[in-house]
Amino acid sequence: MLQLDGRNGEGGGQILRTALALSLITGQPFHLGSIRARRRTPGLMRQHLTAVQAAAAVGQASVEGAALGSTELTFRPGPIQAGEHRFAIGTAGSVTLLFQALLPALLRAPGPSTLHLEGGTHNPMAPTFDFLARVFLPQLRRIGVDVRAELRSWGFYPAGGGQLVFHVEPWKEPGYYDLRERGSLREQWAVAAFAGIPYAVAERELEVVGRGLSIGPAARKPLLVRNSRGPGNALLIGLVHEHIEELITAIGEKGKAAEQVAQEAVEEARGYLEHEAPVGEYLADQLLLPLALGRGGVFRTGAPSLHTRTQIETIQQFLGAAIRSEAISERVWEIEVRP
Amino acid sequence: MALVSPQTPLPRVVFSILGPNLDQGRGIARWERWRPTVALARHDDLLLHRMELLYQPSFAELARLVADDVRHLAPEAEVRLHPVELRDPWDFEEVYGALHDVCRSYPFAPEREEYLVHITTGTHVAQICLFLLTESRHFPGRLLQTSPPRREQLGGPGTYAIIDLDLSRYDRLASRFQAEQRENLAFLKSGIDTRNEAFNRLIERIELVAGASRAPLLLEGPTGAGKSQLARRIFELKKARRQVQGELVDVNCATLRGDTAMATLFGHARGAFTGATGERQGLLRKADGGVLFLDEIGELGLDEQAMLLRAIEEKIFYPMGSDREVRSDFLLLAGTNRDLGARVAQGKFREDLLARIHLWKFRLPGLRERPEDIEPNLRFELERAGQGLGVHVTMSREARERYLAFAVDPSSRWSANFRDLNASVLRMATLARGGRISEDDVREEIDRLKDSWAPTSEAHPPTPAPAPAGDLVSLLLGAEASALDRFDRVQLEDVLRVCRSTSSLSAAGRILFASSREKKASSNDADRLRKYLARFGLSWQQIASPTG
Repeated sequence: MLQLDGRNGEGGGQILRTALALSLITGQPFHLGSIRARRRTPGLMRQHLTAVQAAAAVGQASVEGAALGSTELTFRPGPIQAGEHRFAIGTAGSVTLLFQALLPALLRAPGPSTLHLEGGTHNPMAPTFDFLARVFLPQLRRIGVDVRAELRSWGFYPAGGGQLVFHVEPWKEPGYYDLRERGSLREQWAVAAFAGIPYAVAERELEVVGRGLSIGPAARKPLLVRNSRGPGNALLIGLVHEHIEELITAIGEKGKAAEQVAQEAVEEARGYLEHEAPVGEYLADQLLLPLALGRGGVFRTGAPSLHTRTQIETIQQFLGAAIRSEAISERVWEIEVRP
Repeated sequence: MALVSPQTPLPRVVFSILGPNLDQGRGIARWERWRPTVALARHDDLLLHRMELLYQPSFAELARLVADDVRHLAPEAEVRLHPVELRDPWDFEEVYGALHDVCRSYPFAPEREEYLVHITTGTHVAQICLFLLTESRHFPGRLLQTSPPRREQLGGPGTYAIIDLDLSRYDRLASRFQAEQRENLAFLKSGIDTRNEAFNRLIERIELVAGASRAPLLLEGPTGAGKSQLARRIFELKKARRQVQGELVDVNCATLRGDTAMATLFGHARGAFTGATGERQGLLRKADGGVLFLDEIGELGLDEQAMLLRAIEEKIFYPMGSDREVRSDFLLLAGTNRDLGARVAQGKFREDLLARIHLWKFRLPGLRERPEDIEPNLRFELERAGQGLGVHVTMSREARERYLAFAVDPSSRWSANFRDLNASVLRMATLARGGRISEDDVREEIDRLKDSWAPTSEAHPPTPAPAPAGDLVSLLLGAEASALDRFDRVQLEDVLRVCRSTSSLSAAGRILFASSREKKASSNDADRLRKYLARFGLSWQQIASPTG
């Protein structure tokens, strides 16, 4: 059985989700110790517990230590179940993170699956639904992954209750991924989605984005969200290049000025625009696993983050895949995955 | 591999009172506020298995909204709604009674679930009541207190704290409450330091029920077991707690007969019957706002029972010969030395009245079932006799030992229970020279007692209303009873009566075979009795259950 240490890397829930995903597809049981050992509230929290239970349901796994606050977990997966799966995460926890943990397994399932997820769809510390739909899934489509994503309702912190539906087809013919150039900038746009808060908040955000990135009024849209249980605000900035679309998102928070939310997004967008690599920091993390499971690939990105390095380590432990990361200039790194 | 698998914690069940103020909020803007009950579902490290949401029916809509929000924030939790009718949420007695009822009727399973009660919402009165109920273990769990988020965590779930009253830092608080409760218990027991566990448990239950409930109480027990004294004590306790304002009206139903029974209880109008020259108020009216103790309620006539039932249920009745209804709100305490279930079966007691009064039924054990309490009661009676006689009454050590040895002997019948003990001590105290009871005084008294209990003695019938001969035999055997020889029937009747008056087969066996027991080194009385009963197709369970 594979031994994993929860203190590695950033020491949070990521290693757990990656381990669950990898265990499901390899059939390899694992034991994860010292889960979130250095956090203020150590051990499994509610959203982690839901992830464990969801993975156990998809993979008909037997689990030990799946309890709140548990710092030790043993997971023994069985065969993957295709079909309908429904999971809800409490405390407006992120459903996109849960989707990413379950996706690899469903790609290897014996038939098509439908995943109904309820919880937070636009959380500050997780990819938003729009990032999955506009950035992550289109990249996977290039290597033959067929997933349709649908936003039924929005889920903001703290009310949660957003609903996402994913239709996942088994991955029949994996292709080789190659993305070393982003190509020229074709288009920029900005959307300020808001629910239960004044329209002026969206206007002020778009004002700042428009000025900061030279996005004209025609490409700036306020979006009144009606299908949300609670109030919330998400600012989305699309940076459409010839070979890839990058999406910058900022989530409004209570007590944080609209201008500040927008300014942070503008700075992040500028960071991407001033760089030359096509793959942003978050996408880099997310691509590693699918590439290792398919036919591999190569892409260029910025200096690997701690998140990315943890991800590489865990994947190598499970799959024995060779992942090479190499600086090819001062700011650009090339990562190659060979399964 | 060394696998450290932490013990799986028990599923957590949280009780929360819907706060009409703190939990309020409509539309999407409700999320702008910190709502304590909803926030319970938002803590990352607090996993709810179930929430029991108590709400006043006038806030049903808010309760549904809060429940819905909780379900979305804690999808793993089941949310159950419990309407709790409270006319005045600031009325201590009403709130305590309502929450006590919730605790009593809830199927707690502390071996399978862990319980928390949220004390942040609800009135201060409700908070105090929840504390008391938790402290007294009526709520078998811990307190849960929540606080809103601090400024820097605006919009967050805030904080929560679980307060375990078993921990020593709450001891001072707890001991104050316990001292108060102990006082109440001692009070109900007339200050007698009783040792019989079953009796002490019974008194504890009576204390709780008498404190929380306004429903009738039924006190069962043989004559002289102390029903009247206990009724008076309950009244005085309720009076001290300001739960009753009126007086105690104490009446023995066996003394009420015919027309006068109706008139005595319910009053009469002028000229209602011959000799009714004036208007009479009646005892029920007199008990308005107080307590009515009806001893020997089984002796009440069927007409009076019907009137009484209506008076309990609707708090109104008609005095004899009057068409003007009278209102009276009283707490009913009923006493009986009979098996009212059997009286119902014989058509002598109304089933609906029994159902109404035996919601809280307490059986006071006779003296023989509480041998360990004879000594403290002896002390109490000596003191009481001394007060009555104006001398300090003592007993020599030998005298006391001899008397106690006799008192706890299985052959001592104590047929009138504590009344016998009371009379016996009073006699000894009166006859003792200089207030000191000697061994000789005890010997004489023992002879007197034996004499009074002898079956041939007509002087002291064991109970004022003994069950009619053949009652138990025909009750238990039905038509088969007539097939018995008279010879067997009288014997069986006596055996059954002993069985009914004791708590176990062994106890009955000890009494029935007391003489042969003395001669033999060892015996199996219970087995002998079981075999005897089996000859008539009877088992202990059949005899012990009230309806046969």
